[in-house]
Amino acid sequence: MSLLDRINRISDNSGARKAWFGLVVAIFIFIIVIPSVYVITQIFADWDGVSAVFNDSGKMSVIWRAVAVSFGLAFVVTIFDIITGLPMAWIMVRKNFKGKNVLDTLLDMPLAFPTAVLGLSVLMFWGAPEGVDIPGLGLHLSPFMMLILLHIIFTYPYMVRSLSGILEQIEPNYETAAMTLGASRWTAVRTITLPLFRAGLVTGFILCFARSLSETGGTQIALKMLGVNSFYFTGPTYIAEHKTSAVIATPEMILISTILIIFALLLLVVARSIITRMGVSTEKVWPELGRRLSHGAAPVAKDSLAVLILFLFVLIPSFYIFTYLTDPGSVDTGKLISTTATSFFIAGTAVAFDIVFGVPVAIYIARHRGDRLVHILDNLVNVPLIVPTTALGVSLALFWSAATADALPALVLVILGHISFTYPLIVRNITGAVEEVDPSYEETAMTLGAKPFQAFYKILLPVIKTSVIAGAILAFTRSLGETGATQAIAGSNVDTVPIYIVGLVKNGQYPEAAMASIILIAICFVMMLIVRRLTHRGGSRNA
Amino acid sequence: MPEITLENLRKEFSGGIKASDGLDLTVRDGEYLCLLGPTGAGKTTALRMICGLTKPDSGRVLFDGKDVSGVPISERRTTMLSQRYALFPNMDVYGNVVFSPVIKGWSEEDTKVLATSMIDMVHMGKKVHSIPGELSGGQQQRTALARALASDSKVLLLDEPLRALDARLRIELRKELKSMVKEMGLTSIHVTHDQDEAMEVADRIAIIRKGRIIQVGTPSDIFQNPATPFIANFLGRSNVFSGTYVGGDSDHSEVEIAPGIVVKARPADMEAGEKAVVAVKVGATVPEVVGAKEDVQDRHLPKVLPDGYFGGTVERVMYEGSTITVETRVEGLGIVSSQRSSRRYEAYKPGTQVSITWQPQKASVFRMPENGLEDEMRLE
Repeated sequence: MSLLDRINRISDNSGARKAWFGLVVAIFIFIIVIPSVYVITQIFADWDGVSAVFNDSGKMSVIWRAVAVSFGLAFVVTIFDIITGLPMAWIMVRKNFKGKNVLDTLLDMPLAFPTAVLGLSVLMFWGAPEGVDIPGLGLHLSPFMMLILLHIIFTYPYMVRSLSGILEQIEPNYETAAMTLGASRWTAVRTITLPLFRAGLVTGFILCFARSLSETGGTQIALKMLGVNSFYFTGPTYIAEHKTSAVIATPEMILISTILIIFALLLLVVARSIITRMGVSTEKVWPELGRRLSHGAAPVAKDSLAVLILFLFVLIPSFYIFTYLTDPGSVDTGKLISTTATSFFIAGTAVAFDIVFGVPVAIYIARHRGDRLVHILDNLVNVPLIVPTTALGVSLALFWSAATADALPALVLVILGHISFTYPLIVRNITGAVEEVDPSYEETAMTLGAKPFQAFYKILLPVIKTSVIAGAILAFTRSLGETGATQAIAGSNVDTVPIYIVGLVKNGQYPEAAMASIILIAICFVMMLIVRRLTHRGGSRNA
Repeated sequence: MPEITLENLRKEFSGGIKASDGLDLTVRDGEYLCLLGPTGAGKTTALRMICGLTKPDSGRVLFDGKDVSGVPISERRTTMLSQRYALFPNMDVYGNVVFSPVIKGWSEEDTKVLATSMIDMVHMGKKVHSIPGELSGGQQQRTALARALASDSKVLLLDEPLRALDARLRIELRKELKSMVKEMGLTSIHVTHDQDEAMEVADRIAIIRKGRIIQVGTPSDIFQNPATPFIANFLGRSNVFSGTYVGGDSDHSEVEIAPGIVVKARPADMEAGEKAVVAVKVGATVPEVVGAKEDVQDRHLPKVLPDGYFGGTVERVMYEGSTITVETRVEGLGIVSSQRSSRRYEAYKPGTQVSITWQPQKASVFRMPENGLEDEMRLE
């Protein structure tokens, strides 16, 4: 209590408040942003090595191909998500039906699965090397097709969530008004609601694209199970396969990381400007077509198709791993527990750090919209989000080894890495939430005698609590499932659960990997339930 | 309770908007002052500078003669009651009311006694455990008031406290609001753009425009003696004429408002030939029906009313309950409005010829504002 009192008293001092904000912004820039892209400078520092790779046309063709696969994959997957996610978001926001809550929970489940687990599960479902056969679907799929099917699973929930987040804020009034003015529902949605949708589309696009671009563990497993992992790469798996404990980063890794980062950042800028400028033609309407699409079988078909796609492409493949329960493999319990503990420790520390140092930045951004510096800060937050985590890992390892002369233990480095890519998730979530809160709450609290910190702690924080928790869960599960960054930073020095599972798959121990995955999913699920229960009880106690 | 003095406050926001442009004002100890002005005049900014939410670029805020610029918001004891009440959504009515006592660490017993008495005072006893979302607008307003009153503040700042309510409820609640605040003896500043509200509740009214206070006085004082043509029209509607001062004495002045039309008004310290503005409240503007014998006038009035200054034709008559408004078209002047008792409703029909007159003491004369009359009368 005395600590709180002291913070309260200090928070009255505007100099102290400025110093605190200065500190959190400095932490953001020097601990999160700069290390994330530091690798670019290494192109020049290690010019000889890099240019040697650059002149080796054999290596370069592999690198370019890996980059092309990564971006092509991310692009196809994101487009698929937009097309199929839009009607799903619609259903989740505008429709009421039995089992909506269940569907809502199911939708988030793939986010709770470590991607390495998903890789295993998806491969088993869509045609596993072990001969699991789905009649009529046991097609021969190219590696690229297989990766698309895999990446859809962990990007789709992001898209639906971002789209429904925006959709919830768009009042149905506009549509109703358009409909009373004579537009059919389809025309109303197309000309009124969709154009208002761009912000959600940008967020969804960036999240999905970045997620797909970053994914390592699941992709590695998929490629390994297809037996093509020694010659078919995505950007991140190229880095992961070339990571050795001998050096921090080979010139090949530096080069491909830089290419990935620069392309990703360029894409962020281009995607933003294209989507925000993209016009939906509202001058021309087709009333007859609109009417036909608004009644009868068309909307039903659209909704059923959306749900079918959700189940066929997302849910069933993710849960397919549970079929292994019929033939359980033995698990090295000690190893599983120790790796799980490591994973939880890393995720927990990273999320705690994100909350303490990210919430102030989020509030600052939300409360100072229109300020030039804040605009820059706001864009910088997206940088660690779009940078592929494997490249980020390479960059981070190089930065900290240069900055501290290899003094930091691998575990600390891994935590710093996980902070970098989870931080934007929390800041994004909370910025949005704070913007929704009328500043007059805190202002009134202060005129009633609350110190600035009390106004935050007693009013703003409880109001945005759900978003903080949602952001924390998102960040925690993201950290738990991460393979690429951990590998790129520490090789096999830090054993997290995904790395353990990837290792099992690489050794061909599929049943063991599946069993470990199932246990991990169960742990995640129980944890999510507990968090939900806790937050729910907290909410009703206050109400 | 403190006396509040604002000294030459200036505040400019990005985009060059001057919310305060040399604001001077003194609010007396225990006074209920209305800060009245059109939208965008800088009313809210003035309040925010008093409680410390906005820092002035220059100038001082004094409580009882002491500069409070170094005092943090939480210690100024100036509570803001905002337009949307800002009831904390994470707390029920009781939690909101005890917010301040809890923050300040008062004993549990004191807190409870105080909160209960405040909640009773605003008649919210039955809704103690409701959350803000379950309350009606009026209930939210009462709760916010109870919360403000329970905060041990010395100054109450009310930022359009009745704005979000229905017209009917607004009228009911404003009397109640004032009596409760007066009972507590707080120094209060009530910001509003509604002149009826200001006239009814204020001890004094301060008229603010473009970041400056242009007149301070009691409601009747400002209503009867507006300092500028703008105020004349803003506080009670007026007919405003521009013309030339042609002469006068200690009893009245004469202004030519159109070729050949000379009207009388209060005496003014002006030179013949100066450009002048005459403003007459619509209620003081009397249209006499031409040719009527005993006329439609009150029986005692014709004796003191001068002959009509100019004639016109009634164009519209609007029935407003206890009053009617008669709109007369006058050649060369446009529409002249008059407000009369509705007992005269039968006397006026569109097309009726009338002669317009008023008592010279009811008409104000001003020098022509530098930027012209149109700019002076603009509401934004």
